[in-house]
Amino acid sequence: MAQLNQMPEPMRSHLAKLPCPSFNDQPWVSGQSLSHRRVALISTAGLQRRGDRPFEGMAGDYRVIPGDIKARDLVMTHVSTNFDRTGFQRDWNVVFPLDRLQELATESIIGSVAAYHYSFMGATDPSEMEPAARNLAELLKGDRVDAVLLVPV
Amino acid sequence: MGALAHYLEHEGLPTTQISLIREHTETIQPPRALWVPFELGRPLGGPGNPALQRRVLLAALELLDAPEGPLLVDFPEEIPEETAGPDKDLEGWSCPVSFTRQTSQENDLEKLQSAFRREVAELRPWYDLNLEKSGRTAVVEFGPESASEFLGAFGTGEQPVIQKADLSLATAIRLAAQDLKAFYFEAATARPGLASPSSGEFNEWFWQESAAGRILKAVKERCLKEEDESLKMNGTLFLVPVDQA
Repeated sequence: MAQLNQMPEPMRSHLAKLPCPSFNDQPWVSGQSLSHRRVALISTAGLQRRGDRPFEGMAGDYRVIPGDIKARDLVMTHVSTNFDRTGFQRDWNVVFPLDRLQELATESIIGSVAAYHYSFMGATDPSEMEPAARNLAELLKGDRVDAVLLVPV
Repeated sequence: MGALAHYLEHEGLPTTQISLIREHTETIQPPRALWVPFELGRPLGGPGNPALQRRVLLAALELLDAPEGPLLVDFPEEIPEETAGPDKDLEGWSCPVSFTRQTSQENDLEKLQSAFRREVAELRPWYDLNLEKSGRTAVVEFGPESASEFLGAFGTGEQPVIQKADLSLATAIRLAAQDLKAFYFEAATARPGLASPSSGEFNEWFWQESAAGRILKAVKERCLKEEDESLKMNGTLFLVPVDQA
């Protein structure tokens, strides 16, 4: 149960101290109906292709995950040791629901699945991710993505 | 997570997200968020439960059809029961090995390291069988013997050689520790006739009963005493969970 007031110490205090920015505005972009959208996944689980650079320190960079990647080729190098990894080990869809997303596209519940997905490493201060995230927006538009599902860990 | 939604939406991309810590999402106020009552590390719910994963995914995506926001919606289902694999008979979880019993009266780090090696050797065939069967492993950089020799040496005061030239010592230690835990989990869950452990059961065994857990705590203590800031950060944050320290 990931509500701070129901977590035992010391985890509650640890999570309460994590950087958590507030924003003065509330951006909102509308779009076509879900059945016509092209959807990309962006994870903050520190996911990468096997053989790609592992995540290090608190850098705000991201890794590219091709849409045809297989579960055996996707690994996790997030720096934190304070979340469960055994769910991901047993079933990658617990963290990166690409199989489920493809099923929704096959059933025409969504329009299509992006050619590329991405992962940041969520222990990073969010402000460190901002430049990379804004650049990433152009890559997503180039892939004709008009819906992004952000998945934490 | 919510900050990324702000950045992308500012650039003209509609976003929706899963939220694991409701209080953080309430502060950040991303455009659209679905809060789920699952443990950290499992944003889509349970492994081997595609029906639940689909319901979570759909609930998050359907927020994109809402006319206005910001939205923070609660997923209506509770934490799922663990789902065992098709070849498991749900007899429950038990510790695969417990060499620490043999060394529980010892303070000698060398004897601990010896127990650690035996533990790794006993688990190795189960890891191999699991890999052969599933075709997948979460081990990234360090094989079991490489990780155990490297961490065992560092934890017992030696200065081990880093086999990966492109990794700093701090990164190598962190990745080796992660790989070691991945190896232990995959080996432990490959044994026949037993249900997979919950995350809590696995953590209890690994951190409280295995020699590997004791070695990693020794590695943490040494990191905390090092001058290097990256090693200190390893010791403070990246090796032992805050609820197992």
